[in-house]
Amino acid sequence: MIKIDNITKSFGQLDVLKGISTEIGKGEVVAIIGPSGSGKSTLLRCMNLLEVPTTGSIAINGEEITDPKADVMRIRQQIGMVFQHFHLFPHMTVLNNLTYAPIKVKGMSRSEAEKKAKELLARVGLSDKAGVYPSRLSGGQKQRVAIARSLVMEPEIMLFDEPTSALDPEMVKEVLEVMKGLAHTGMTMAIVTHEMRFAEEVSDRILFLDDGRLQEDTPPKEFFQNPKSERAKQFLEKVR
Amino acid sequence: MNLDFAQIVPYIPFIFEGIKVTLLVTLLSVVLGFIWGSILALIKISKFGPLNWLAVAYTSVFRGTPLILQLTFVYFATPQLTGYNISQLEAAVLTFTLNSAAYISETIRGGILAVDKGQWEAAKALGIPYRRMMLDIILPQGIKNILPALVNETIALLKESALVSTIGLADILQNANVVKGAIYRYFEPYLIAGVLYYVMVMFLTWIARVVERRMRRSD
Repeated sequence: MIKIDNITKSFGQLDVLKGISTEIGKGEVVAIIGPSGSGKSTLLRCMNLLEVPTTGSIAINGEEITDPKADVMRIRQQIGMVFQHFHLFPHMTVLNNLTYAPIKVKGMSRSEAEKKAKELLARVGLSDKAGVYPSRLSGGQKQRVAIARSLVMEPEIMLFDEPTSALDPEMVKEVLEVMKGLAHTGMTMAIVTHEMRFAEEVSDRILFLDDGRLQEDTPPKEFFQNPKSERAKQFLEKVR
Repeated sequence: MNLDFAQIVPYIPFIFEGIKVTLLVTLLSVVLGFIWGSILALIKISKFGPLNWLAVAYTSVFRGTPLILQLTFVYFATPQLTGYNISQLEAAVLTFTLNSAAYISETIRGGILAVDKGQWEAAKALGIPYRRMMLDIILPQGIKNILPALVNETIALLKESALVSTIGLADILQNANVVKGAIYRYFEPYLIAGVLYYVMVMFLTWIARVVERRMRRSD
């Protein structure tokens, strides 16, 4: 589904990604972990072209999105993204946050968009918040709205960039529960996270990044019980 | 002291008539200046080379020369250059629009750049095209940030509009000038003009407060 072929990314003198290749299959849930500065977020952001790889290519369903002629807007509509700091539109109500893109970008009718949005709000447990502005929500609620906002576009892939890192501890669980539920529906997901237990429980594969390189690409059990690389061993000792 | 308000009473309605012109020039210039200023701001933050350079040069010229010179220039030089006999009102609105757009564009540019970078990314990630993103996501938030500055610009414009009396347009100040000439008294007509300007500015300030409160609904 996503095929990443030897991508590199440099910001000026700084080489953040130094040649990464991997594939994510349909319905697969992949957790991307590693120390800060290892390039996890940059790798994720390359998958919807918020960052354009310096070299290498990325294909989604066989379509090369790194081709300069690719229709970036259409590709992004198929890929949902959830950010660490939510980035809800503060001047729109929760319902309008959800319905804006389907109506204005996909051309869905307002009634249909609202019906879908309300279904999704129910799914993330926030039916009663449709009419309020984001500033009235807690962090966990904001993040659940952000997830619903992505899902209403019916993406084929969902990217999560440290979705719980900015949350108070007691709100982490409600967001992880929603993500777990999503994983069970067969959604293809790539998740940058520091929640090791969650990664172990939910993901099909762990991508361990260090210094811009993919150090391990293994099933979670193997990774957490018996990491191959020295760097992964050190990392796991520190975080657990 | 030599004050005699009795003499001026018959002329008060005449001075009041200037309100229409003052308001017309101010409101038209603010609205048109805001539209033109928004366009200039969008050009400035886009990375489109030649247009970008033109917008910056435009702003520099209009901020770098006296407004009264610009007004005189537009009113007197337009017929000479184009043969079109520009009316006083047209010259006034045109000059104030062009001038205030230069200032407003800088304010809007600052407001846009102050919008959280995450908003741009969230919009992009949803596949929202650039134009829609700017109009529906970024500009509304940017303008909310700069609303007080826009009100100040409107108030400044209202007061500066008194310059149109120099090309003979019958605004509040010009009508006060006429009354002065008719009765040979200075204090009374100019006092009335001053009070009118002050009341209008206070009214604008009040409107701004109401609008701002409404826009802060989402906080």
